[in-house]
Amino acid sequence: MRTLKRFVNRLGAWATRGQDEERLSAEIEEHLAQETARNLGAGLSPDEARRQALLSFGPVEAIKDDYRAQRGLPFIEALFQDTRYALRRLRNAPAFTLAVVLTLALGIGATTAIFSLVHAVLFKSLAVENPAELYRVGKVARCCYWGGYSQDEEFSIFSYDLYKHFRDNTRGFAALAAFQAGGALFGVRRAGVAEAAQGYPGEFVSGNYFAMFGVRGYAGRLLAPADDQPGAPPVAVMSHRLWQQRYGSDPSVVGALFSLDNKPFTVVGITPPGFFGDKLRSIPPDFFLPLNTEPYVEADADLNNVDTYWLDLIGRIRPGLASASVEADMRVELKQWLRSHWADMSANDRVKFPEQTLFLRPGGAGITAMRDEYEHWLQILMMVSAFVLLIVCANVANLMLVRGMERRQQTSLSMALGAQAWRLVRQALTESLLLSLAGGAAGLAVAYACTRLILRFAFPHIAGMGSVPISASPSMPVLLFAFGVSTIAGITFGIAPAWTATRVDPIEALRGAGRSTARTGSLPRKSLVVLQAALALVLLAASGLLTAALRNLENQDFGFSQDRRTIARIDPSLTGYQSDQLTTLYGRIHDSLASLPGVSDVAVAQYSPLSGNNWGAGVWIDGKPLPGPHDDNLASWDRVTAGYFNAIGTRIIEGRGITDRDRADSQLVAVINQAFARKYFQQEDPVGKYFGRTEMQSSRVYVVVGVAEDARYVHSAFDKPPGPFFFLAEPQHEVFPNSGKDVDPGSHFLHDIVIVTRPGVRLTSARVRQAVASVDPNLPIISIQTLAEQVDGQFRQQRLIARLTSFFGILSLVLASIGLYGVTAYNAGRRTGEIGVRMALGASRTQVAALVLRGAFALVAAGLMVGLPLALVAGRFLGSQLYGFNPYDPAVIVAAVLTLGFSALVASLIPAIRASLISPSEALRAE
Amino acid sequence: MSETKNKTEVQQGTLALMVLKTLDVLGPLHGYGIARRIEQISGDLLAVNQGTLYPVLLKLEQEGSIASEWGASENHRKARFYRLTRDGRRQLRAETRDWEQTAAIIERFFAVKAEDLE
Repeated sequence: MRTLKRFVNRLGAWATRGQDEERLSAEIEEHLAQETARNLGAGLSPDEARRQALLSFGPVEAIKDDYRAQRGLPFIEALFQDTRYALRRLRNAPAFTLAVVLTLALGIGATTAIFSLVHAVLFKSLAVENPAELYRVGKVARCCYWGGYSQDEEFSIFSYDLYKHFRDNTRGFAALAAFQAGGALFGVRRAGVAEAAQGYPGEFVSGNYFAMFGVRGYAGRLLAPADDQPGAPPVAVMSHRLWQQRYGSDPSVVGALFSLDNKPFTVVGITPPGFFGDKLRSIPPDFFLPLNTEPYVEADADLNNVDTYWLDLIGRIRPGLASASVEADMRVELKQWLRSHWADMSANDRVKFPEQTLFLRPGGAGITAMRDEYEHWLQILMMVSAFVLLIVCANVANLMLVRGMERRQQTSLSMALGAQAWRLVRQALTESLLLSLAGGAAGLAVAYACTRLILRFAFPHIAGMGSVPISASPSMPVLLFAFGVSTIAGITFGIAPAWTATRVDPIEALRGAGRSTARTGSLPRKSLVVLQAALALVLLAASGLLTAALRNLENQDFGFSQDRRTIARIDPSLTGYQSDQLTTLYGRIHDSLASLPGVSDVAVAQYSPLSGNNWGAGVWIDGKPLPGPHDDNLASWDRVTAGYFNAIGTRIIEGRGITDRDRADSQLVAVINQAFARKYFQQEDPVGKYFGRTEMQSSRVYVVVGVAEDARYVHSAFDKPPGPFFFLAEPQHEVFPNSGKDVDPGSHFLHDIVIVTRPGVRLTSARVRQAVASVDPNLPIISIQTLAEQVDGQFRQQRLIARLTSFFGILSLVLASIGLYGVTAYNAGRRTGEIGVRMALGASRTQVAALVLRGAFALVAAGLMVGLPLALVAGRFLGSQLYGFNPYDPAVIVAAVLTLGFSALVASLIPAIRASLISPSEALRAE
Repeated sequence: MSETKNKTEVQQGTLALMVLKTLDVLGPLHGYGIARRIEQISGDLLAVNQGTLYPVLLKLEQEGSIASEWGASENHRKARFYRLTRDGRRQLRAETRDWEQTAAIIERFFAVKAEDLE
């Protein structure tokens, strides 16, 4: 009870410590006065009386301290005192404080930003209930359409018929949902509102999609199995993002009629906020439609083609079942289904039948196409930021060690005056903690900024559409980790010098101050600088390699012209055009745009180069046998209007390009590229030869009328030359020989209008839109950009990585240089005496400077020895998946070494010069 | 000066007891007065610095055994006077009892001779 009372009293006393202090002093003074008076009365002199009084009182300050220890909460008071003292000390050394806080902020911030992003993209779960229970069918995502009855390695994309087979027969799934593997773009207009249709991304999903995910409607209701029946009233679900941003969360949207691609749909509900669908992508879908509306909306109905594979599957396994058993069941069912279609299978498919299999994988993260795409980049970023964190810690440690050394004398003096060793160490600890806290707080701000920046550059925002559902807020565990690491580094290196100083007998430290030779240079600091130099070299080399690779990529011969060309992207399928109306449409678009002043050429293509997509086909050369199942007979192709090759700037090597001569009623023609000619015609002259497509089961479909130079269309494998490619004429339609039906009706819906302007002309998007609108005001233009921008966009990630790595490379170089400067200056300073002696004995200024420089370069050389092999290893790791990349590029390595050497020279020059300017007499005098 | 006797160190706990007893016997006193009285009573047998009194006074005040207030000393100077509280009186009585018991037991032991323990 008494103790508690005492504690409470002590708490309160802390508040009144000012007046208590005065009161104590007054009381003690009074006591002493009375004792002095008594001594005076006993006959002592005034001085002696006072002295005796003090003697019998005891040590005043010690007693006051004792009193204070009883009075308040001494621990907390000491803490405050230490904090105030530490703050004052830090304020008196602004350069040091700023340097430490900045380096900490940068290290913590950058690392946190990058690790948070990696964590978000690589590990983000779907925003659904119990993502851990979900399983997807397929290891590697296959996008977006497939045909035939065989898929190499695994069946990972499915047709509607196959999905139904699985859904109805697999007991192991509590629910199995199907959804479009790719995405669709819909031209959307609200019924009853006079406005142009806008293009929004959407997805076809099965009726049980939302129920399987356990997602409830935010407003209205979501799709149900009853909506996914043939003939059911067409309904759709809108995303929360679109509802909020475009319609201002207007409740009347729910139940309203919308026209999607000119077909009426009722929007029955809104998805909850945060639900981004079944895969992480840059542009999440804004509309979800039942699978069975697909024939209603799309021109070529994939739903009812038994062997058109366009769906991904995710399901919830019944609790208690092992996924392996469900997987085994599904494999059996797959074989059953294939066998039931034996009659329709091609010979190739039949040969490949035994290999057909599938895999179940945990599906909590959804379909991981984006993950696969970005994984390598993120890994690189992670390594880079880990390096940076290391360098930053080394720098902080270095700075703290310096500070500790400088304060060595002070510490010894304090100890000699009676300070407790523990108190001194605690002061150093407080200082380090304060710095770490400040660095951590600043680091948080840097982390926010960095995350935002990286997101903006890596996943650019397309106006009007959604953006990647990754929040820019740094993840707490990562922040705490980085913070913890740097705090530990700061504290360890802050306390170490203080601790060692208190072990030393004060007189030793005071006596030995200022006297040292090269041998007594601090080893820890030197090793830190060596480490920094090595890491800086690695980062410099890496950034050099990445930049070189990027330059190679951007400056390669693409096979087409990038200047003066603009690409306007359209999607005629959004406004309900039928395939027989398209040729006229393109003709009118061509005329409208060509009539604009300053426009010299116009053409329309299904896909312009590097626009992100291309169609593929199996090639069957006339006169050669039908390609077998394991023969590589693929080629990519593109459908274009007349005059395309001039417009895009691709040279025709032989024969002609696509012209007006190629009409719907004339012989089907094709223009091939050099790679096609080399691969399929070898030494023969291809012009005049025939080829066909395996899916048409004919080898005499097209006649080759020309050979174009190789051009880059597909964004992949930049380290290999472009693959075989052929171009078809837009007005011409291939039909199946038996049914007379169009083989690729969808290929006539061309996407990219190529506009060539005359030199010096600037074409505004407004005029382009106007020209197109004058042809058809309902045809939305999805985007307008120059071809150069489109090509640039393909290398966005590479550019970002190269830039980030360069930035970090330069940063680490600066940090390493600062570290080197610090160590060199410090050592030179300590050797002032020695230098004085040398100069007195006849050494010249140059020799003294060389002495200092030698020391510095020894460190750099050590750093190089450690760093070079590391740099080569890093180069191998980087190069494993990058295009146009040579990990042993000697020019880059040499450049990196030279850069490091040069900055080392600059860093150590100043101390060297200062050392050489020492006058011997001064040096010897200063102790 | 006085004979150099071996002065005994005193523990803080016993110093507190002495303070309480002094205040009990002599009524409210200021710090200097308590120190002088303790010196007198112990007859210079105790080697205690007068100043060590003050932390003890603070501790007792925090525990509530004594209370203090400003007053005027003999030479009309401002001084802090301490007096015993009711709690303090109770504590004094309890500790006195404890000490007397302890002293009695020890005395018995000192009076024991070998024969008594047969």
